[in-house]
Amino acid sequence: MSVIIDQRDDSSVLPLLNNIGPYNEVPEEYEAEEAAVALSTTKVLVIGAGGLGCEILKNLALTGFKDIHVIDMDTIDVSNLNRQFLFRPKDVGKSKAEVAAKFIEERIGDKDLKISPYFGKIQDKPLSYYKQFGVVICGLDSVEARRWINATLVSLVDTELNNLIPMIDGGTEGFRGQSRVILPTLMSCYECTLDLITPQTTYPVCTIANTPRLPEHCIEWASVLEWPKMFPGRKFDADDPEQVEWMYQTALARANEFNIEGVTKSLTLGVVKNIIPAIASTNAIIAASCCNEAFKIITNINPILNNYMMYSGDDSIFTYTYAHARRANCPVCGNFAKTFTAQNWWTLERFIEEISSKQEVQMSQPSLTAASRFLYLRNPPHLEESTRPNLSKKLNTLIRGGDELVITDPNLPISLKLTVEFTGPETEPDDVNSSLM
Amino acid sequence: MLIDKETRYDRQLRLWATTGQSNLESSHICLINASSTGSEILKNLVLPGIGEFTIIDHRYVSSRDLSGNFFLKHRDLGKGLAEAISVNLNELNTDVKGHSINRNIRAILEEESPEFWDTYNVVIVSEYISGLDILKEILWKKRIPLLIVNTVGFYGSLNLIANEITVIETHDPSRLYDLRIDKPWPELQQFVDSIDLDALDDTDHAHIPYIVIYIKALDSWKQDHNNQAPQNYNEKKQFRKYIESLSRNINLEANFIEASNSIHRALQKTEIPNSIQKLFEKVNILDENLTSSTPIFWIYIKALKRFVELNNYQLPLPGKLPDMASDTTNYVKLQTLYREKAKRDQELFTAEVIRILNALGRSKDEISNESITSFCKNSQLLFVTQGSKKLYTSTLVQELLDNTNESNKENFNTLGIYFSILTFNLFTEKYRRAPSLKDLEFFKMLFIEEFMVSPPVPSAIEATFKETLSHNTRSYHNLSSLMGGVVSQEVLKLATAQYTPLDNLFVFDGVRSISEKWKI
Repeated sequence: MSVIIDQRDDSSVLPLLNNIGPYNEVPEEYEAEEAAVALSTTKVLVIGAGGLGCEILKNLALTGFKDIHVIDMDTIDVSNLNRQFLFRPKDVGKSKAEVAAKFIEERIGDKDLKISPYFGKIQDKPLSYYKQFGVVICGLDSVEARRWINATLVSLVDTELNNLIPMIDGGTEGFRGQSRVILPTLMSCYECTLDLITPQTTYPVCTIANTPRLPEHCIEWASVLEWPKMFPGRKFDADDPEQVEWMYQTALARANEFNIEGVTKSLTLGVVKNIIPAIASTNAIIAASCCNEAFKIITNINPILNNYMMYSGDDSIFTYTYAHARRANCPVCGNFAKTFTAQNWWTLERFIEEISSKQEVQMSQPSLTAASRFLYLRNPPHLEESTRPNLSKKLNTLIRGGDELVITDPNLPISLKLTVEFTGPETEPDDVNSSLM
Repeated sequence: MLIDKETRYDRQLRLWATTGQSNLESSHICLINASSTGSEILKNLVLPGIGEFTIIDHRYVSSRDLSGNFFLKHRDLGKGLAEAISVNLNELNTDVKGHSINRNIRAILEEESPEFWDTYNVVIVSEYISGLDILKEILWKKRIPLLIVNTVGFYGSLNLIANEITVIETHDPSRLYDLRIDKPWPELQQFVDSIDLDALDDTDHAHIPYIVIYIKALDSWKQDHNNQAPQNYNEKKQFRKYIESLSRNINLEANFIEASNSIHRALQKTEIPNSIQKLFEKVNILDENLTSSTPIFWIYIKALKRFVELNNYQLPLPGKLPDMASDTTNYVKLQTLYREKAKRDQELFTAEVIRILNALGRSKDEISNESITSFCKNSQLLFVTQGSKKLYTSTLVQELLDNTNESNKENFNTLGIYFSILTFNLFTEKYRRAPSLKDLEFFKMLFIEEFMVSPPVPSAIEATFKETLSHNTRSYHNLSSLMGGVVSQEVLKLATAQYTPLDNLFVFDGVRSISEKWKI
């Protein structure tokens, strides 16, 4: 007996659409049929086809979404197989987006379900591409990509709130994770909460160079100081076993010299790749929470998360749901400039160093413009050349206290406004020089 | 393609290391009811490499099963449900052994002896089964943890039913360090005394680790204060000032800046936490109650009690140091001192364990160096809980009704979700079908009778009933997947014997995206 089926039974979803529950916020306007049409016609964009992405694609496909797009620039690695369940050992090296899309289409076996993969960067796509979606769900491990898509979605919204595309963002680490809903320009955006992100562990250079105590210090010494010395101009590739072995041996030799225990290959990899522990269970929880919110947004069947849920499973189970407030001086969705206090003796170069490392700025290649002039631009080359001399000048000779600066970075579609105030002595204080390194 | 486990499991080994992984690989998990939630739970366990799993279900794959379950294919229609899912899950990881039993759970409970369950380390029941009470009794006696997970529409609940759970490696999230600043042992005191701060040049002075600074500072403070450490807020503030005054320049000496910022470490008292003191008072470690079958955890507790009695009421030193501003030599010296003391403590503790085992006629093969080391390192952070085999108590019903009065205005009640799910299963048992909105009046009556609540049903509880009955699907995939993730985390914690498990009821509300938990 062979039955030809071109669709999955929708009995698991229908009861959700057909009845209005007591918490439905728009019971007068709600129509089950409209909700069903919205589910099957809304275009959903999934950014990331990794641990969260695999889960998100599965969840969307099993809850009635039919037009799903997925972007990922990565290829499949062996260490993905402990959680990215759409991939098999034979897929190692192939595009995550393409393999995931094909797997889901085959498994669901529904002729109306279309999953369109794109193997590349989100920055490759024009604004017009993003306008077509009804909701964007992010399962990313990169802060930069999240900032980019967040700023892009905020920039799409016009004064009449056209093109308002909800962004749902998930993230996990070990047994913990968080999911959040962003209605661009109406709710706190990703940039508003940039200071919530735990900064990556860094070690002072003088510790690494002179007084190592931890195995991590020895690994950092090998990667930050020794690698560039031994292989100038060559970027370290953590996926090349020979290079990893060199790094490990170099760190180990350093550790032995100082009688420091604990340098292992696994720790070496963890430090140089900044590896975050990850398991399928946590990805499942967070991805499902994100997709539940997407389902509610598109169908209007129940209220949506306002706007942040933290989950932690390592010490019993704990969730914390709260509305994160918008930041008035958010560079992406706010209107007001931030104030930053600079020392009178700072050069422009020193000023750039100080602001780039600030938690709420986090720009690696900032360009600075004052109201009337360019202070320092990275591009194009002729402007870089003409503004470079400013770097060694004192900032208070270039602008006055109360002036507003605009800071941009080629990696982010953001312009950060900063009002600068000056304080402190005109010359660099002496005792700062007597460094104790 | 040959794949080495270390690479494949790298991202999880960073959470539970090889000891956790080998525990996981020797675990056998049983799932009763091949639901969508059940499949999701097993997916999350097969991927990290659980040893074996068994699915018990007597039904055959229907198109309804396909609706919310990713681990069923069109071509599985008509096959045994348990077997089809087991085969599809096994594709995720060929190191895992998947089994299926195509039998009715009721029949198994009636026909098999209780020994049937001995092969399983954890049993999971998904949604409603007939005979849950019998199963609960069997597993309770056998000390096999039972997880009961339910989803209805946007709601989910999880019960963890276990006689007793003990965890050694809790991975203390508070990052407590036991430094014994207030009670340095002779070797540590000697090392501190060998350093004369005044005689050091500026560079060395700025690189003395704060442990040395604290012990010296506390010594001289005590001499001026009747041999007492700083007691109140004011004295603690003064003590901080005193530490800062020992610096040659408190704006520049990184070690003194750190010492001033981490002052709580200097004032931390070396004592036995209450939670551990309570374990010493348990009757099961009285001499007359120890037997050849007493779990090794309780033998360790007995040995720990003897250890502290012989060692000035101090627990074994964990021996771990935080990083601190220091030159390499002094840091490594300190590290060695702490490690050596920890090792000596472990040896003394081991001797106590062996003494107890000998007295009971038990072999010392029951213990290993690794398990002793792990126990000693975590002896301040042990987690022990006694569970309940009840699904509810009159106290919980009372709490449900009390909550309702407070949150009436908002018209929701998270505990009401749990009782709604319990009533949903009762209804299913009684009428052999799932209730829907038109059954609301019967549903309320059932609730009133079962939980002995006087009518009428408060409106906040009725609202959760309505939500449950309007959206009465048991395989809305987002909830299946979410609860599947939650349950699998709990199984991972139980199987690796690491991290602190749920104790013991969890409810997720997907309408409001919140959760709450209770202890029954």
